[in-house]
Amino acid sequence: MRIAVDILIGISLFFAFAGTVGLLRMPDTFSRLQSSTNIATLGLLGVIIGGIVYSIGQYADYTMAVKLAILGVFYIITNPISGHSLTKAAYRHGIRPKDGFVCDKYGEDMENDD
Amino acid sequence: MKKAKFSAFLSTMIVCFIFWLLLTGQIVSIFKGEASIEVLIAGILASIIISLFSARFFIHEKAFYLFNPLKILCLLFYSIFIFGWELIKANIDMAFRALKPGKLKINPGIVKVPTKLKSEYGLSMLANSITLTPGTITMDIVDQGDETFLYIHWINVTVTDENEAGEAIKGTLEKWVRRIWK
Repeated sequence: MRIAVDILIGISLFFAFAGTVGLLRMPDTFSRLQSSTNIATLGLLGVIIGGIVYSIGQYADYTMAVKLAILGVFYIITNPISGHSLTKAAYRHGIRPKDGFVCDKYGEDMENDD
Repeated sequence: MKKAKFSAFLSTMIVCFIFWLLLTGQIVSIFKGEASIEVLIAGILASIIISLFSARFFIHEKAFYLFNPLKILCLLFYSIFIFGWELIKANIDMAFRALKPGKLKINPGIVKVPTKLKSEYGLSMLANSITLTPGTITMDIVDQGDETFLYIHWINVTVTDENEAGEAIKGTLEKWVRRIWK
């Protein structure tokens, strides 16, 4: 039991670490945001699932498990909205990567509208 | 803003009450047969007050659309297995992309992807699924005539054609979302 919890938390720590390294190494705003979703998804879900397994296995406390599951669900629902609005705001503000995009359909369509 | 119908109010209230049961831990007590009536009554009152205010933001379409066992099963199966598997694959890919020594292998770009979904919840669920998958972020949703398009920032652009990129990004995801929402 304890080993399963440790493995889950270890996995999520690994992904949080990878996300942080990506955050520091990526060259531009958009790619940094991409890398940070790594932390947000498996990085957090691993800890939450570990917590659920621990609270059921160790204390047989189902109330705590249900609360953790709800925490995960609401996190999953609300988190993407921040990523979405951050990229949109950054783009509208005129931030572009140094090497440019491979293809930029959004900008092309925005110019056509004006 | 439209005025909320009674059916919208009722279904918002039911959802609120379910969350009250889950959060206060009453759902566990009900299975053990020791639920307290006071807490349940307080929960009903609280959900009535909340849904009076929030029903008009919460539901704009058919009110009891999701109160259908098949749809809920589909939702659970999608969010645990299909989406979970996609999530793990994309996470591993992204983690190794970030941790690999040497020059970063990235190829960023914004692609435009058509979607067949129409309802608000379906679109937001697809956009959220795409954003949560590392490597892709939904930037905007636009209606152009009859069709709806998503603009997606993709960290490793392999194809720029609309339909091929759509297949690569949201292939299985959209199939399953369309089983749940219109």
